[in-house]
Amino acid sequence: MSSTAFAGPTGLNESANFPLRVVDGLTLPPEYRKALRPGEEWKDEMGRPRQLPRYFYEIPSWDSAMKIELATHFLLWEFIQVDVREAAPLRTFPRYVPCAITLLAVCLERFREAVGSMVHISANGGYRSPSHRFSKNATLHAWGTAANIYRIGETYLDNRGAIERFSLIARETLPGIWTRPYGAPTGYAEDHLHLDLGYVLSVPRDVKS
Amino acid sequence: MAKTENPTATRERALQAQIERIETESGAKAIGVALHDAETDFELHYKADRWFHAASTIKVPILLGVFAAIDRGDLLPHSRVHVRNRFLSVVEGVPFRVESGRDSNSAVHNAIGKMMRVDELAYHMITTSSNLATNLLLSVVGTDAINKTLKELDVDDGIDLKRGVEDELAFEKGINNMVTADGLLRILVLLSEGKAFSPALSRRMMDILHGQEFNQGIPARLPKAARVAHKTGEISTVAHDAGVVYLPKRKPYGLVVLSEWDPAGSGRSRTIATISHTIYEFLTQEPVDE
Repeated sequence: MSSTAFAGPTGLNESANFPLRVVDGLTLPPEYRKALRPGEEWKDEMGRPRQLPRYFYEIPSWDSAMKIELATHFLLWEFIQVDVREAAPLRTFPRYVPCAITLLAVCLERFREAVGSMVHISANGGYRSPSHRFSKNATLHAWGTAANIYRIGETYLDNRGAIERFSLIARETLPGIWTRPYGAPTGYAEDHLHLDLGYVLSVPRDVKS
Repeated sequence: MAKTENPTATRERALQAQIERIETESGAKAIGVALHDAETDFELHYKADRWFHAASTIKVPILLGVFAAIDRGDLLPHSRVHVRNRFLSVVEGVPFRVESGRDSNSAVHNAIGKMMRVDELAYHMITTSSNLATNLLLSVVGTDAINKTLKELDVDDGIDLKRGVEDELAFEKGINNMVTADGLLRILVLLSEGKAFSPALSRRMMDILHGQEFNQGIPARLPKAARVAHKTGEISTVAHDAGVVYLPKRKPYGLVVLSEWDPAGSGRSRTIATISHTIYEFLTQEPVDE
Protein backbone atom coordinates (compact mmCIF):
# COMPACT_ATOMS: atom_id res chain seq x y z
CA MET A 1 0.00 0.00 0.00
CA SER A 2 1.53 3.33 -0.97
CA SER A 3 -0.76 5.49 1.17
CA THR A 4 0.69 8.10 3.47
CA ALA A 5 0.93 7.09 7.11
CA PHE A 6 1.67 9.53 9.91
CA ALA A 7 4.12 9.00 12.70
CA GLY A 8 4.81 11.04 15.79
CA PRO A 9 8.21 12.22 17.05
CA THR A 10 8.90 8.81 18.50
CA GLY A 11 8.27 7.15 15.19
CA LEU A 12 5.10 5.52 16.49
CA ASN A 13 1.62 6.03 15.25
CA GLU A 14 -0.61 8.74 16.64
CA SER A 15 -0.69 7.15 20.05
CA ALA A 16 1.85 4.79 21.49
CA ASN A 17 -0.83 2.49 22.90
CA PHE A 18 -3.08 2.51 19.85
CA PRO A 19 -2.08 -0.04 17.27
CA LEU A 20 -3.69 1.32 14.11
CA ARG A 21 -1.86 3.56 11.71
CA VAL A 22 -3.50 6.72 10.40
CA VAL A 23 -3.74 7.23 6.65
CA ASP A 24 -4.62 10.22 4.53
CA GLY A 25 -7.54 9.07 2.43
CA LEU A 26 -6.37 11.23 -0.46
CA THR A 27 -3.32 9.01 -0.84
CA LEU A 28 -5.24 5.76 -1.03
CA PRO A 29 -5.59 3.83 -4.30
CA PRO A 30 -8.33 5.07 -6.64
CA GLU A 31 -10.87 2.35 -5.83
CA TYR A 32 -10.73 3.32 -2.15
CA ARG A 33 -10.87 7.05 -2.87
CA LYS A 34 -13.90 6.50 -5.05
CA ALA A 35 -15.70 4.63 -2.29
CA LEU A 36 -14.56 6.72 0.71
CA ARG A 37 -14.64 10.13 -1.02
CA PRO A 38 -12.12 11.59 1.48
CA GLY A 39 -12.50 15.30 2.12
CA GLU A 40 -15.27 15.68 -0.46
CA GLU A 41 -18.38 17.68 0.09
CA TRP A 42 -21.67 15.86 0.47
CA LYS A 43 -24.99 17.59 0.88
CA ASP A 44 -27.23 16.77 3.81
CA GLU A 45 -31.01 16.44 3.58
CA MET A 46 -31.36 20.24 3.81
CA GLY A 47 -28.93 20.75 0.94
CA ARG A 48 -26.11 22.02 3.17
CA PRO A 49 -22.62 20.92 2.11
CA ARG A 50 -20.76 18.77 4.62
CA GLN A 51 -17.15 17.76 4.37
CA LEU A 52 -16.45 14.05 4.54
CA PRO A 53 -13.60 12.68 6.70
CA ARG A 54 -10.14 12.66 5.16
CA TYR A 55 -8.15 10.75 7.79
CA PHE A 56 -8.77 7.13 8.57
CA TYR A 57 -7.46 4.36 10.73
CA GLU A 58 -6.32 1.43 8.64
CA ILE A 59 -7.58 -1.92 9.94
CA PRO A 60 -5.32 -4.67 8.59
CA SER A 61 -7.51 -7.69 9.33
CA TRP A 62 -10.71 -8.92 10.90
CA ASP A 63 -8.57 -10.58 13.50
CA SER A 64 -7.16 -7.23 14.59
CA ALA A 65 -10.65 -5.67 14.59
CA MET A 66 -11.76 -8.43 16.93
CA LYS A 67 -8.96 -7.61 19.37
CA ILE A 68 -8.67 -3.83 19.37
CA GLU A 69 -10.55 -2.09 22.18
CA LEU A 70 -11.90 1.34 21.37
CA ALA A 71 -13.39 1.51 24.84
CA THR A 72 -13.62 -0.89 27.75
CA HIS A 73 -16.72 -2.63 26.41
CA PHE A 74 -16.45 -1.85 22.71
CA LEU A 75 -14.19 -3.60 20.26
CA LEU A 76 -13.43 -2.18 16.85
CA TRP A 77 -15.26 -4.92 14.94
CA GLU A 78 -18.59 -3.78 16.36
CA PHE A 79 -18.28 -0.52 14.44
CA ILE A 80 -17.40 -1.95 11.04
CA GLN A 81 -20.02 -4.61 10.41
CA VAL A 82 -21.33 -3.90 6.93
CA ASP A 83 -23.21 -6.17 4.60
CA VAL A 84 -23.18 -6.77 0.87
CA ARG A 85 -24.53 -3.27 0.26
CA GLU A 86 -21.17 -1.72 1.13
CA ALA A 87 -18.86 -0.87 -1.78
CA ALA A 88 -16.89 -3.98 -2.73
CA PRO A 89 -13.36 -2.68 -1.94
CA LEU A 90 -14.51 -1.76 1.55
CA ARG A 91 -15.74 -5.24 2.38
CA THR A 92 -12.27 -6.70 2.36
CA PHE A 93 -9.16 -5.86 4.39
CA PRO A 94 -7.46 -3.54 4.85
CA ARG A 95 -10.51 -1.57 5.89
CA TYR A 96 -10.68 2.11 6.73
CA VAL A 97 -12.65 3.89 9.41
CA PRO A 98 -12.72 7.64 10.16
CA CYS A 99 -10.58 8.71 13.09
CA ALA A 100 -13.65 10.13 14.87
CA ILE A 101 -14.78 6.57 15.56
CA THR A 102 -12.86 6.67 18.84
CA LEU A 103 -15.03 9.56 20.07
CA LEU A 104 -18.16 7.58 19.30
CA ALA A 105 -16.78 4.62 21.23
CA VAL A 106 -16.12 6.75 24.29
CA CYS A 107 -19.66 8.13 24.14
CA LEU A 108 -21.13 4.65 23.83
CA GLU A 109 -19.07 3.48 26.77
CA ARG A 110 -20.55 6.23 28.89
CA PHE A 111 -24.02 5.33 27.59
CA ARG A 112 -23.39 1.72 28.51
CA GLU A 113 -22.51 2.74 32.05
CA ALA A 114 -25.78 4.67 32.24
CA VAL A 115 -27.97 1.80 31.02
CA GLY A 116 -26.02 -0.80 32.96
CA SER A 117 -26.12 -3.41 30.24
CA MET A 118 -24.62 -4.54 26.93
CA VAL A 119 -25.21 -2.13 24.06
CA HIS A 120 -25.40 -3.81 20.65
CA ILE A 121 -24.66 -1.90 17.45
CA SER A 122 -26.53 -3.31 14.46
CA ALA A 123 -25.02 -4.47 11.19
CA ASN A 124 -24.66 -1.43 8.88
CA GLY A 125 -25.23 0.60 12.03
CA GLY A 126 -21.69 1.75 12.82
CA TYR A 127 -19.38 3.19 10.19
CA ARG A 128 -20.49 2.79 6.62
CA SER A 129 -19.03 4.60 3.67
CA PRO A 130 -20.80 7.21 1.55
CA SER A 131 -20.92 4.54 -1.17
CA HIS A 132 -22.91 2.09 0.94
CA ARG A 133 -26.34 1.55 -0.65
CA PHE A 134 -28.02 2.68 2.57
CA SER A 135 -26.00 5.89 2.79
CA LYS A 136 -27.76 9.01 1.63
CA ASN A 137 -28.06 12.70 2.51
CA ALA A 138 -24.68 12.96 4.23
CA THR A 139 -25.54 10.30 6.76
CA LEU A 140 -23.53 10.64 9.97
CA HIS A 141 -22.59 6.98 9.66
CA ALA A 142 -20.13 8.04 6.94
CA TRP A 143 -18.36 10.25 9.51
CA GLY A 144 -18.05 7.39 11.99
CA THR A 145 -19.99 9.39 14.53
CA ALA A 146 -23.34 7.58 14.47
CA ALA A 147 -24.54 4.28 15.87
CA ASN A 148 -27.74 2.31 15.37
CA ILE A 149 -28.42 0.32 18.50
CA TYR A 150 -30.86 -2.52 18.04
CA ARG A 151 -30.57 -4.16 21.44
CA ILE A 152 -29.64 -3.20 24.97
CA GLY A 153 -29.23 -6.15 27.28
CA GLU A 154 -32.18 -8.38 26.44
CA THR A 155 -34.36 -5.50 25.24
CA TYR A 156 -34.88 -5.15 21.51
CA LEU A 157 -35.34 -1.54 20.49
CA ASP A 158 -38.17 -2.23 18.07
CA ASN A 159 -41.00 -0.37 19.74
CA ARG A 160 -41.82 3.14 20.85
CA GLY A 161 -41.50 2.44 24.57
CA ALA A 162 -38.01 0.99 24.40
CA ILE A 163 -36.66 3.46 21.87
CA GLU A 164 -37.97 6.53 23.70
CA ARG A 165 -36.80 5.26 27.09
CA PHE A 166 -33.21 4.69 25.97
CA SER A 167 -33.22 7.78 23.80
CA LEU A 168 -33.93 9.86 26.89
CA ILE A 169 -31.11 8.17 28.79
CA ALA A 170 -28.73 8.89 25.91
CA ARG A 171 -29.66 12.56 25.80
CA GLU A 172 -29.37 12.94 29.56
CA THR A 173 -26.03 11.14 29.66
CA LEU A 174 -24.29 12.53 26.61
CA PRO A 175 -24.37 16.32 26.20
CA GLY A 176 -24.96 17.32 22.60
CA ILE A 177 -25.96 13.85 21.43
CA TRP A 178 -28.78 13.66 18.90
CA THR A 179 -31.24 10.78 18.68
CA ARG A 180 -33.76 10.07 15.98
CA PRO A 181 -37.37 10.31 17.14
CA TYR A 182 -39.51 7.17 17.04
CA GLY A 183 -41.54 6.75 13.87
CA ALA A 184 -41.69 5.36 10.35
CA PRO A 185 -41.04 8.34 8.04
CA THR A 186 -37.61 9.32 6.77
CA GLY A 187 -35.63 10.90 9.58
CA TYR A 188 -37.29 8.72 12.22
CA ALA A 189 -36.47 5.23 13.44
CA GLU A 190 -38.78 2.46 14.55
CA ASP A 191 -36.55 -0.60 14.84
CA HIS A 192 -33.41 0.84 16.45
CA LEU A 193 -32.07 3.77 18.42
CA HIS A 194 -29.99 6.06 16.23
CA LEU A 195 -27.66 8.39 18.06
CA ASP A 196 -24.93 10.61 16.65
CA LEU A 197 -22.42 13.28 17.59
CA GLY A 198 -22.90 15.45 14.52
CA TYR A 199 -20.42 16.12 11.73
CA VAL A 200 -17.21 15.67 13.68
CA LEU A 201 -13.96 15.59 11.72
CA SER A 202 -11.03 14.17 13.59
CA VAL A 203 -7.62 15.35 12.33
CA PRO A 204 -4.70 13.52 13.94
CA ARG A 205 -2.14 15.78 15.61
CA ASP A 206 0.74 14.74 13.34
CA VAL A 207 -1.06 15.76 10.17
CA LYS A 208 0.56 18.83 8.62
CA SER A 209 -2.46 20.46 7.05
CA MET B 1 -62.05 -49.49 -39.94
CA ALA B 2 -62.43 -47.96 -36.48
CA LYS B 3 -59.84 -45.34 -35.66
CA THR B 4 -57.67 -46.35 -32.66
CA GLU B 5 -56.44 -43.73 -30.20
CA ASN B 6 -52.75 -43.27 -29.44
CA PRO B 7 -52.07 -45.32 -26.24
CA THR B 8 -50.32 -42.38 -24.61
CA ALA B 9 -53.31 -40.17 -25.24
CA THR B 10 -55.56 -42.82 -23.76
CA ARG B 11 -53.42 -43.03 -20.64
CA GLU B 12 -53.35 -39.27 -20.36
CA ARG B 13 -57.13 -39.10 -20.58
CA ALA B 14 -57.40 -41.73 -17.89
CA LEU B 15 -55.07 -39.79 -15.59
CA GLN B 16 -56.94 -36.56 -16.30
CA ALA B 17 -60.15 -38.30 -15.29
CA GLN B 18 -58.62 -39.55 -12.06
CA ILE B 19 -57.41 -36.08 -11.13
CA GLU B 20 -60.75 -34.58 -12.03
CA ARG B 21 -62.42 -37.06 -9.69
CA ILE B 22 -59.99 -36.22 -6.88
CA GLU B 23 -60.67 -32.53 -7.45
CA THR B 24 -64.43 -33.05 -7.25
CA GLU B 25 -64.27 -35.21 -4.14
CA SER B 26 -61.84 -32.88 -2.36
CA GLY B 27 -64.12 -29.89 -2.25
CA ALA B 28 -61.35 -27.65 -3.62
CA LYS B 29 -62.48 -24.66 -5.64
CA ALA B 30 -59.86 -25.44 -8.26
CA ILE B 31 -56.86 -27.64 -8.80
CA GLY B 32 -54.08 -27.25 -11.35
CA VAL B 33 -51.54 -29.95 -12.09
CA ALA B 34 -48.48 -29.99 -14.32
CA LEU B 35 -46.26 -33.02 -14.79
CA HIS B 36 -43.16 -33.73 -16.82
CA ASP B 37 -41.56 -37.16 -16.65
CA ALA B 38 -37.94 -37.14 -17.80
CA GLU B 39 -37.96 -40.95 -18.03
CA THR B 40 -40.76 -41.23 -20.59
CA ASP B 41 -41.26 -37.62 -21.69
CA PHE B 42 -44.87 -38.04 -20.60
CA GLU B 43 -46.56 -34.76 -19.77
CA LEU B 44 -49.81 -33.82 -18.12
CA HIS B 45 -51.33 -30.37 -18.04
CA TYR B 46 -54.51 -30.23 -16.02
CA LYS B 47 -55.74 -26.64 -15.74
CA ALA B 48 -52.04 -25.96 -15.80
CA ASP B 49 -52.39 -22.46 -17.20
CA ARG B 50 -54.84 -21.33 -14.51
CA TRP B 51 -53.43 -18.58 -12.29
CA PHE B 52 -53.29 -19.13 -8.54
CA HIS B 53 -52.09 -16.94 -5.70
CA ALA B 54 -48.48 -18.15 -5.43
CA ALA B 55 -48.22 -18.19 -1.62
CA SER B 56 -44.74 -19.47 -0.74
CA THR B 57 -44.14 -21.23 -4.05
CA ILE B 58 -42.99 -17.81 -5.28
CA LYS B 59 -39.83 -18.54 -3.30
CA VAL B 60 -38.69 -20.89 -6.08
CA PRO B 61 -38.45 -18.06 -8.65
CA ILE B 62 -36.85 -15.89 -5.98
CA LEU B 63 -34.27 -18.63 -5.35
CA LEU B 64 -33.55 -18.61 -9.06
CA GLY B 65 -33.12 -14.83 -8.96
CA VAL B 66 -30.71 -15.04 -6.01
CA PHE B 67 -28.56 -17.57 -7.85
CA ALA B 68 -28.66 -15.41 -10.95
CA ALA B 69 -27.04 -12.68 -8.83
CA ILE B 70 -24.46 -15.21 -7.69
CA ASP B 71 -23.88 -16.26 -11.28
CA ARG B 72 -23.38 -12.61 -12.29
CA GLY B 73 -20.94 -12.10 -9.44
CA ASP B 74 -23.16 -9.50 -7.77
CA LEU B 75 -23.40 -11.78 -4.76
CA LEU B 76 -21.38 -14.60 -3.31
CA PRO B 77 -22.99 -17.48 -1.44
CA HIS B 78 -21.20 -16.23 1.66
CA SER B 79 -22.02 -12.54 1.12
CA ARG B 80 -23.46 -11.13 4.30
CA VAL B 81 -26.87 -9.54 4.59
CA HIS B 82 -28.07 -7.37 7.45
CA VAL B 83 -31.04 -9.10 9.09
CA ARG B 84 -33.53 -6.33 9.61
CA ASN B 85 -37.26 -6.78 9.98
CA ARG B 86 -38.44 -3.71 8.18
CA PHE B 87 -39.67 -3.67 4.61
CA LEU B 88 -41.55 -1.27 2.40
CA SER B 89 -44.89 -2.21 0.90
CA VAL B 90 -45.30 -1.88 -2.84
CA VAL B 91 -48.30 0.26 -1.89
CA GLU B 92 -46.99 3.77 -1.21
CA GLY B 93 -43.81 2.47 0.42
CA VAL B 94 -45.52 1.95 3.77
CA PRO B 95 -43.17 0.10 6.18
CA PHE B 96 -44.20 -3.34 7.42
CA ARG B 97 -42.69 -6.20 9.38
CA VAL B 98 -42.81 -9.97 9.11
CA GLU B 99 -44.64 -11.30 12.14
CA SER B 100 -42.31 -13.64 13.96
CA GLY B 101 -45.24 -15.78 15.08
CA ARG B 102 -46.23 -16.45 11.48
CA ASP B 103 -42.74 -17.51 10.49
CA SER B 104 -42.00 -21.11 11.36
CA ASN B 105 -38.30 -20.37 11.43
CA SER B 106 -36.87 -18.65 14.49
CA ALA B 107 -33.24 -18.76 13.33
CA VAL B 108 -33.59 -15.76 11.05
CA HIS B 109 -35.61 -13.74 13.58
CA ASN B 110 -32.99 -14.52 16.21
CA ALA B 111 -30.38 -12.88 14.00
CA ILE B 112 -32.13 -9.51 13.82
CA GLY B 113 -29.53 -6.75 14.06
CA LYS B 114 -26.78 -9.14 12.96
CA MET B 115 -25.90 -10.58 9.57
CA MET B 116 -26.54 -13.87 7.82
CA ARG B 117 -25.01 -15.31 4.70
CA VAL B 118 -26.91 -15.36 1.41
CA ASP B 119 -26.77 -19.15 1.26
CA GLU B 120 -28.08 -19.44 4.82
CA LEU B 121 -30.99 -17.14 4.00
CA ALA B 122 -31.73 -19.07 0.81
CA TYR B 123 -31.75 -22.30 2.78
CA HIS B 124 -34.16 -20.94 5.39
CA MET B 125 -36.34 -19.36 2.70
CA ILE B 126 -36.93 -22.76 1.12
CA THR B 127 -36.60 -25.44 3.78
CA THR B 128 -38.72 -23.80 6.47
CA SER B 129 -40.26 -21.17 4.22
CA SER B 130 -38.90 -18.24 6.23
CA ASN B 131 -40.74 -15.12 5.15
CA LEU B 132 -38.14 -12.90 6.78
CA ALA B 133 -35.33 -14.58 4.83
CA THR B 134 -37.39 -14.22 1.64
CA ASN B 135 -37.94 -10.50 2.03
CA LEU B 136 -34.30 -9.93 2.96
CA LEU B 137 -33.10 -11.69 -0.18
CA LEU B 138 -35.68 -9.88 -2.29
CA SER B 139 -34.52 -6.55 -0.87
CA VAL B 140 -30.93 -7.33 -1.83
CA VAL B 141 -31.58 -8.72 -5.32
CA GLY B 142 -34.68 -6.73 -6.29
CA THR B 143 -37.96 -7.75 -7.91
CA ASP B 144 -37.01 -6.24 -11.26
CA ALA B 145 -33.75 -8.17 -11.42
CA ILE B 146 -35.54 -11.44 -10.64
CA ASN B 147 -38.17 -10.82 -13.29
CA LYS B 148 -35.38 -10.04 -15.76
CA THR B 149 -33.72 -13.36 -14.89
CA LEU B 150 -36.96 -15.25 -15.45
CA LYS B 151 -37.32 -13.60 -18.84
CA GLU B 152 -33.73 -14.31 -19.84
CA LEU B 153 -34.15 -17.98 -18.91
CA ASP B 154 -37.47 -18.04 -20.78
CA VAL B 155 -39.37 -19.16 -17.69
CA ASP B 156 -41.32 -15.95 -17.09
CA ASP B 157 -44.54 -17.30 -18.60
CA GLY B 158 -46.73 -18.38 -15.70
CA ILE B 159 -44.79 -16.49 -13.02
CA ASP B 160 -45.93 -13.05 -11.90
CA LEU B 161 -43.62 -11.74 -9.18
CA LYS B 162 -44.78 -8.40 -7.88
CA ARG B 163 -43.69 -8.09 -4.25
CA GLY B 164 -42.31 -9.64 -1.11
CA VAL B 165 -44.31 -11.78 1.27
CA GLU B 166 -46.57 -10.59 4.09
CA ASP B 167 -47.16 -7.27 2.39
CA GLU B 168 -50.68 -7.08 3.80
CA LEU B 169 -51.41 -3.69 2.31
CA ALA B 170 -50.65 -5.05 -1.16
CA PHE B 171 -52.78 -8.13 -0.45
CA GLU B 172 -55.73 -5.89 0.48
CA LYS B 173 -55.29 -4.03 -2.81
CA GLY B 174 -55.18 -7.31 -4.76
CA ILE B 175 -51.51 -6.96 -5.66
CA ASN B 176 -50.29 -10.54 -5.33
CA ASN B 177 -47.64 -12.88 -6.64
CA MET B 178 -49.31 -15.34 -9.00
CA VAL B 179 -48.23 -18.59 -10.60
CA THR B 180 -49.52 -21.30 -12.89
CA ALA B 181 -48.66 -24.96 -12.55
CA ASP B 182 -46.95 -24.87 -15.95
CA GLY B 183 -44.95 -21.81 -14.93
CA LEU B 184 -43.51 -23.44 -11.83
CA LEU B 185 -42.91 -26.70 -13.67
CA ARG B 186 -40.77 -24.95 -16.28
CA ILE B 187 -38.46 -23.67 -13.54
CA LEU B 188 -38.24 -27.04 -11.83
CA VAL B 189 -37.41 -28.80 -15.10
CA LEU B 190 -34.71 -26.23 -15.79
CA LEU B 191 -33.21 -26.87 -12.35
CA SER B 192 -33.42 -30.64 -12.49
CA GLU B 193 -31.82 -30.71 -15.93
CA GLY B 194 -28.92 -28.59 -14.64
CA LYS B 195 -29.68 -25.78 -17.08
CA ALA B 196 -30.10 -22.89 -14.66
CA PHE B 197 -26.81 -20.94 -15.12
CA SER B 198 -24.59 -24.01 -14.69
CA PRO B 199 -24.93 -27.63 -13.60
CA ALA B 200 -23.15 -26.73 -10.35
CA LEU B 201 -25.46 -23.82 -9.47
CA SER B 202 -28.51 -25.85 -10.52
CA ARG B 203 -27.38 -28.63 -8.22
CA ARG B 204 -26.95 -26.20 -5.33
CA MET B 205 -30.51 -24.99 -5.79
CA MET B 206 -31.78 -28.54 -5.99
CA ASP B 207 -29.86 -29.39 -2.81
CA ILE B 208 -31.67 -26.57 -1.03
CA LEU B 209 -35.03 -27.81 -2.34
CA HIS B 210 -34.13 -31.29 -1.12
CA GLY B 211 -33.89 -29.87 2.40
CA GLN B 212 -37.60 -29.09 2.51
CA GLU B 213 -39.00 -29.80 5.98
CA PHE B 214 -42.72 -29.62 5.14
CA ASN B 215 -43.48 -33.00 3.63
CA GLN B 216 -47.24 -33.45 3.95
CA GLY B 217 -47.88 -32.87 0.25
CA ILE B 218 -46.13 -34.49 -2.70
CA PRO B 219 -43.84 -36.81 -0.65
CA ALA B 220 -46.42 -37.95 1.92
CA ARG B 221 -47.65 -41.07 0.11
CA LEU B 222 -44.59 -41.91 -1.91
CA PRO B 223 -42.37 -44.87 -1.07
CA LYS B 224 -39.56 -44.28 1.40
CA ALA B 225 -37.00 -44.61 -1.36
CA ALA B 226 -38.41 -41.51 -3.06
CA ARG B 227 -36.53 -38.26 -2.60
CA VAL B 228 -38.37 -35.06 -3.33
CA ALA B 229 -36.87 -31.61 -3.91
CA HIS B 230 -39.83 -29.31 -3.44
CA LYS B 231 -41.44 -26.16 -2.14
CA THR B 232 -44.83 -25.88 -0.53
CA GLY B 233 -47.06 -22.85 -0.26
CA GLU B 234 -50.13 -22.26 1.85
CA ILE B 235 -52.31 -19.34 2.87
CA SER B 236 -55.97 -19.34 3.90
CA THR B 237 -57.23 -19.86 0.36
CA VAL B 238 -54.54 -21.91 -1.38
CA ALA B 239 -52.35 -24.94 -0.78
CA HIS B 240 -49.60 -25.90 -3.20
CA ASP B 241 -46.63 -28.16 -3.63
CA ALA B 242 -44.12 -28.03 -6.47
CA GLY B 243 -41.20 -30.39 -6.77
CA VAL B 244 -39.06 -32.95 -8.51
CA VAL B 245 -39.48 -36.60 -7.51
CA TYR B 246 -36.47 -38.91 -7.64
CA LEU B 247 -37.13 -42.64 -7.61
CA PRO B 248 -34.55 -45.44 -7.77
CA LYS B 249 -33.51 -46.64 -11.22
CA ARG B 250 -35.37 -44.09 -13.25
CA LYS B 251 -35.10 -40.46 -14.25
CA PRO B 252 -37.00 -37.94 -12.10
CA TYR B 253 -40.32 -36.32 -12.77
CA GLY B 254 -41.38 -32.76 -12.07
CA LEU B 255 -44.77 -32.29 -10.49
CA VAL B 256 -46.69 -29.18 -9.52
CA VAL B 257 -50.03 -29.32 -7.71
CA LEU B 258 -51.79 -26.02 -7.07
CA SER B 259 -55.12 -25.81 -5.26
CA GLU B 260 -57.57 -23.14 -4.23
CA TRP B 261 -59.97 -23.50 -1.31
CA ASP B 262 -62.60 -21.82 0.78
CA PRO B 263 -60.86 -20.58 3.93
CA ALA B 264 -62.74 -23.20 5.94
CA GLY B 265 -61.90 -26.01 3.54
CA SER B 266 -60.04 -29.02 4.92
CA GLY B 267 -58.04 -31.93 3.53
CA ARG B 268 -55.65 -29.77 1.52
CA SER B 269 -52.43 -31.69 2.14
CA ARG B 270 -54.27 -34.98 1.80
CA THR B 271 -55.56 -33.93 -1.61
CA ILE B 272 -52.09 -32.98 -2.83
CA ALA B 273 -50.68 -36.24 -1.46
CA THR B 274 -53.43 -38.21 -3.20
CA ILE B 275 -52.72 -36.57 -6.53
CA SER B 276 -49.00 -37.19 -6.06
CA HIS B 277 -49.64 -40.84 -5.22
CA THR B 278 -51.94 -41.26 -8.21
CA ILE B 279 -49.28 -39.85 -10.51
CA TYR B 280 -46.59 -42.00 -8.91
CA GLU B 281 -48.66 -45.13 -9.54
CA PHE B 282 -49.46 -44.01 -13.05
CA LEU B 283 -45.80 -43.47 -13.94
CA THR B 284 -44.44 -46.58 -12.29
CA GLN B 285 -47.02 -49.16 -13.28
CA GLU B 286 -46.71 -50.89 -16.62
CA PRO B 287 -49.52 -49.91 -19.00
CA VAL B 288 -52.08 -52.71 -19.28
CA ASP B 289 -53.01 -53.78 -22.82
CA GLU B 290 -56.75 -53.79 -23.27
